Amino acid sequence: MIHSMDVSELKITAELANLDLTGEDLASLGNEVEKILDYFSSMMEADTAGLAAGKAGSAANRLRPDVRTPGDADALLENAPELEGRFIVIPNVL
Amino acid sequence: MYQSFIGLEIHIQLLTESKVFCGCTNRFGDEPNTNVCPVCMGYPGVLPALNEEAIRLSYIVARTLNCELSPRAIFERKNYFYPDMPKNYQISQFSSPLGRNGWIDIEYAGKPRRVRIHEIHLEEDAGKMIHAGDMSLLDYNRAGTPLLEIVTEPDMEAGEEAEILLQNFRRTIRYLGVCDGNMEEGSMRCDANVSINLEGQGLGRKVEIKNLNSSRFVKMALNYEITRQKELFGKGGKIVQETRLWNENRDVTEPMRTKESAHDYRYFPEPDLPPFIPGAEFLAKVDKGLVELPEARKARFVKEYGLSAAAADFLVAEKATADFYEQTVKLGAAPAAAAAWLQFDVRKILNRDGKELADCPLTAGRLAQLLSLLADGRIHGKIAKQVLEAVFAEDKDPGQLIKEKGWQSMSDMSQLAALVDQALAANAAAVDAVKAGDRKPLGFLVGQIMKQTGGMAEPRLVQELLKQKIK
Repeated sequence: MIHSMDVSELKITAELANLDLTGEDLASLGNEVEKILDYFSSMMEADTAGLAAGKAGSAANRLRPDVRTPGDADALLENAPELEGRFIVIPNVL
Repeated sequence: MYQSFIGLEIHIQLLTESKVFCGCTNRFGDEPNTNVCPVCMGYPGVLPALNEEAIRLSYIVARTLNCELSPRAIFERKNYFYPDMPKNYQISQFSSPLGRNGWIDIEYAGKPRRVRIHEIHLEEDAGKMIHAGDMSLLDYNRAGTPLLEIVTEPDMEAGEEAEILLQNFRRTIRYLGVCDGNMEEGSMRCDANVSINLEGQGLGRKVEIKNLNSSRFVKMALNYEITRQKELFGKGGKIVQETRLWNENRDVTEPMRTKESAHDYRYFPEPDLPPFIPGAEFLAKVDKGLVELPEARKARFVKEYGLSAAAADFLVAEKATADFYEQTVKLGAAPAAAAAWLQFDVRKILNRDGKELADCPLTAGRLAQLLSLLADGRIHGKIAKQVLEAVFAEDKDPGQLIKEKGWQSMSDMSQLAALVDQALAANAAAVDAVKAGDRKPLGFLVGQIMKQTGGMAEPRLVQELLKQKIK
């Protein structure tokens, strides 16, 4: 059984994800995260001995030859909210 | 009474055509964001696929650095939130890197030293960010290019030693052809860590140094840091475990502000990539990529060709030069002459013209021809240098140039003897002086004949004739 996440751990996780959470956020999110953890706990109880599940299946390596297959870079740039020439612009995060 | 412990983390960009997990072009200097696709831009629903050349080059380095190869190399996600990585994680290796427990042998302070390799792992590089005022500019051309990280144990003790290790390592990867080792352009990057402690007390508190973009800066930063830590220690101060940046304008290291929690990367196995299992066929391909390394080649050059250590050192510094040299010798040139010409005359012209040996009109065949013309006395030394210049200027074979320009030496003895007789008759005073035991006028007489023949007379023969006739 996984122990439910305590608030301090939730705060660290939020910080790692650059999320600014208020006390209220933490309380409501705490419940939701607990539900997720409970769900994983019940999955972990399933008997998987002898099953290939959870291991990447094929015995052979999955490799790609070293060949250039250029895509449509311009189409991707169109999704950027702001451009400066071909650079994608974001607020300074130094 | 203090001991210092230095370790390095070296990153090298692998010379592949495409990125490590997608088919985008892997090339430095292209227009921003031209080599990007949904995989390296972190779009949902895409699948990374491992580049077989990237993994082959990685194992070549691991083998060369004497590592134990992982029978099951696992890729992991290193999670961090920063805009240089659009996916919010970097695919790297953590629990089972491809190589471990290797070593590099170097020579430091006149003694052989073995620096152990902790591990070698393959990962993807991040994009580039330019911070400009209140905005940051992002270029993801580099995001997802193959990056190999080599981590040494803290086995070095001085900045000079780290510099030697880096130079030695750089030469090795260039020999292997896996990376061009350009620290200014960032294709080879290095972070250093250093701690000091009282002798016999083991490792101290580790300080990491970043922003080191030349091997000289690595040396300077480490020596600065060792002195700083010793002074702090001596005053009873405490060394803080931290990351510091090298300030190349002030020649000091400065603390870098970081959040401690930022180092919790929460690694977990990359579910989209199966572990890589090197099979016999793959390892055979790896073995094909192994080459004779510079140190071994140098030793062989000294032994096989009778070269001095300095000459051998020069020749093996670049693989292209060493290959050129061996080919010249194979074509019949005397080993000592070929070495000397490459080391002095050829290098002088290359430096002057800003050219590379691999990309200039001189080929091993042309150098061998020039040296054979010289050895056979068909041209003499001074003319040979002129021929070399002409090869560079006109891109023609030495034999052809000599014919075209009428540069064959005049070595017909009866012709030369007549010229010598003339010179003796015209310079009676000089002849008398030589007879009286003064050897200096001999040079003057040789000069007279050389002048008369436009430099074509074979000076060695002229000198011999002069000595015979003035007796």
